Amino acid sequence: MSIAFKPEETFRGDYSYRNSDAAVLRFPFPFPEDRYMYSVNIEPHVRSGPSDVFLRPFDVDEHYIAECRDKAITLERDPGRCQVLPHMMMAQWDTLELLMENLSADYPEQFSLIKEGDDFGSRWTWINRPLGIEQSFIFGNPETLPCEPFEYITRQAQGDFAICDQRDDNLFMDAGMVTSQADWSLEFDVGMSFMEWHGPVPLAHQTGVFERALKYLLMLRLGQPVRRLNWTMSINPRLDTSPESYPEWGPDRASVTPANAGQKVHLRVELQTLWRLPRSNAILFPIRCYLASLEDLARVPKWGARLHRVLSSLPPQLVEYKGLTRYLPAALEWLAQHDDGRELPVGTEPGITTLGPR
Amino acid sequence: MLHSDIKSRPTYTQLEPDLSGSQHLLIIEGDTVLPGRLDSLAGTFAPVEENLHTWLVGTQAGGLGLGKVWRLPEVADVVDAFACATRGYGIGDRLYVQGTEPFLWSVAKAAAIIGFSAEQIHLHHAGSLRRRVWCTHCHTVTENVTTSIASCSGCHRHLLVRDHFSRRLGAFMGVMVDAEAPGEVPAVEESFA
Repeated sequence: MSIAFKPEETFRGDYSYRNSDAAVLRFPFPFPEDRYMYSVNIEPHVRSGPSDVFLRPFDVDEHYIAECRDKAITLERDPGRCQVLPHMMMAQWDTLELLMENLSADYPEQFSLIKEGDDFGSRWTWINRPLGIEQSFIFGNPETLPCEPFEYITRQAQGDFAICDQRDDNLFMDAGMVTSQADWSLEFDVGMSFMEWHGPVPLAHQTGVFERALKYLLMLRLGQPVRRLNWTMSINPRLDTSPESYPEWGPDRASVTPANAGQKVHLRVELQTLWRLPRSNAILFPIRCYLASLEDLARVPKWGARLHRVLSSLPPQLVEYKGLTRYLPAALEWLAQHDDGRELPVGTEPGITTLGPR
Repeated sequence: MLHSDIKSRPTYTQLEPDLSGSQHLLIIEGDTVLPGRLDSLAGTFAPVEENLHTWLVGTQAGGLGLGKVWRLPEVADVVDAFACATRGYGIGDRLYVQGTEPFLWSVAKAAAIIGFSAEQIHLHHAGSLRRRVWCTHCHTVTENVTTSIASCSGCHRHLLVRDHFSRRLGAFMGVMVDAEAPGEVPAVEESFA
């Protein structure tokens, strides 16, 4: 499968990131109904679903090259975005193996993995054509890679990655590569337990969502990954909305007007998957971020109308927690023109196969 | 005692000896000792007094009935004492700490480094509610914060003190309060006196 990469687009500065028509139609729209509330919306991560992004376990799209470059810029400025506690080396190799095997199997035109054996001590050769990388190394020997294995492979993947160590019937966030996060700090959260790192989330604790989710995840089985969608909103197509860089992107929230909301306001959807790792028994937690402007989304009539309804009926605590307070009225005013009040079918599918002209 | 619904903040308890331990170390921040408190602790720890060692930090207050008593000038000396510990601490050891939150976590972190597990450490919050605040932007720690918004001692931004706590840093998260509209700083309230 060939992918028309857009290597020049940017996620900062002039924000030249754009979605092609195909990228809009495959956007993982997260709202099956007109209202939204937290739930344990976890399902098996199988190779099917309402959007093409579910067809492969690790989705690679037209933004791959530009996104890897943006990650490198963020890491250059703040190396603390990649952190691995010392006891996590086995989980690092588990992650490298999982990503290399899946990417090379699902995208043979772009990635190849040649293995002389499956076990530690074997010589492996990894080829990443979009990024122009060819690397031979000894699986299990970190000295043979340019950096530690977790950093090495997650620099070549879209989205963020956390690894949760499992002990004492709990999960601890003991490693992470976090450069496209929705306003949480790895430096602050690293080493925290499941309940601790979810501490700031409003409303969900009271309904027992996290207890149930934790119980479920502790039983996660090898070869049976699961997924859920989460969402927030961002001003401009910016991947690095970290608390660290909040002084840089915070002012953008005050720049939204009903006239520019269509271009500036983006729905930010995270495809979160969870994988049991074979040697370490840790859980890999990839968080893949998709961005689409309100204008993109409104080209799908069902989505424009539904987003208007979801955002109009959001509980005030969620508006505050997701940081929408300042610009939500402008976004709603812009979206209102795309909502004629008709009844919308349940489900997240776009309901159309081609988009009208822009 | 501190009650809160901050999920990332631990629940602190009253101190009492864990009889499954064989050696007991009690560390007390002097500023948090109210009249009669040491006598009361001596009563509580009487069952283990023969194996009790008490470190009183920054106080000349008496330590009658608290086993073998050491006096240390400040919390940095506690951290040093752990770092230089020549006797190995093992699974029979129990650590009890009384103090302000920054004190508790400075001691707990130093103890964890030399092998104390969470189950061996008992923390009792006493004294001021002041917070240690970690700046999300420059990662500097500002001590003794009593207000809802504090100036970062590193980058001087006005930080809103969020109710999110990291045990590893022993600190609350501070986030620039006027990032979205520079100069718009809400009224500062005395919240953690």
